[in-house]
Amino acid sequence: MFSEPKCSTLASPILEEKADTEEQLDIPWKVIVLNDPVNLMNYVVMVFRKVFGYNETKATKHMMEVHDLGKSVLWVGEREQAENYAYQLQRWRLQTILEKDD
Amino acid sequence: MPINYNAGVCKQFLRKMIEFSVEVESRIIGAVLPELGKLFALSSKIEDYSELFPDLNDEDFKDAWIQGLREEAKGDRNALARLLKCPRFPYGRVEVEEDDAEDLLRGLTEIRFTIRSTSLKNLSDEELEGGLTNLKNSKPEVRIGYFAYLLMAEVQERLVQEIS
Repeated sequence: MFSEPKCSTLASPILEEKADTEEQLDIPWKVIVLNDPVNLMNYVVMVFRKVFGYNETKATKHMMEVHDLGKSVLWVGEREQAENYAYQLQRWRLQTILEKDD
Repeated sequence: MPINYNAGVCKQFLRKMIEFSVEVESRIIGAVLPELGKLFALSSKIEDYSELFPDLNDEDFKDAWIQGLREEAKGDRNALARLLKCPRFPYGRVEVEEDDAEDLLRGLTEIRFTIRSTSLKNLSDEELEGGLTNLKNSKPEVRIGYFAYLLMAEVQERLVQEIS
């Protein structure tokens, strides 16, 4: 036999968790490539073109940003896609991090 | 005499190859090849992908991420092994199947990271990017490591040009 649900002023933890997750999924994530002394410039440009489909000019701009400033934000968007890009870049041995977009 | 098209030799002719020569003296290539062999063996032992994982606080996901990178790197290493074993490579000739080119590019990067963290670990990033100026005063292992590093960079640069 089922008992009547009791009223409570406490918020449901499951609902709260779900809301948190949904909120986190909505936050855009940044895919950031860091500079390293090993990878060649033309290699980095080629990787940016392959992974993101950028044209030569845009890929070169990001490569120069990595070289001159130490890092470049390559892409901003939903977390799952950001993780996918980060994995692909690491597959090419580019030092890549993910950060929540402020 | 009937031609056996299933034989390996015939198959090779059917595959599209990328071929070029690097402008490095064969005596230098001959001098660094034994060291490259050692570094190649070392690269699989010192690989550490754990630092590559983004800080996402998910241990299961982290394991899958690292395992994925580790598994996929095997093909890259095999492509590099084929280059180093190629009988014409000591003479500066690079021959790679078009389908293997991307694997080889990644394999070249991996071995350059290995050289950086072993033979060239005492060099600063500036020295490495600007070129080693006091080569004559360097220890033999640094000198050989540096030439190996440059040779791999030369092959990689040319290969990127070829496939772009």
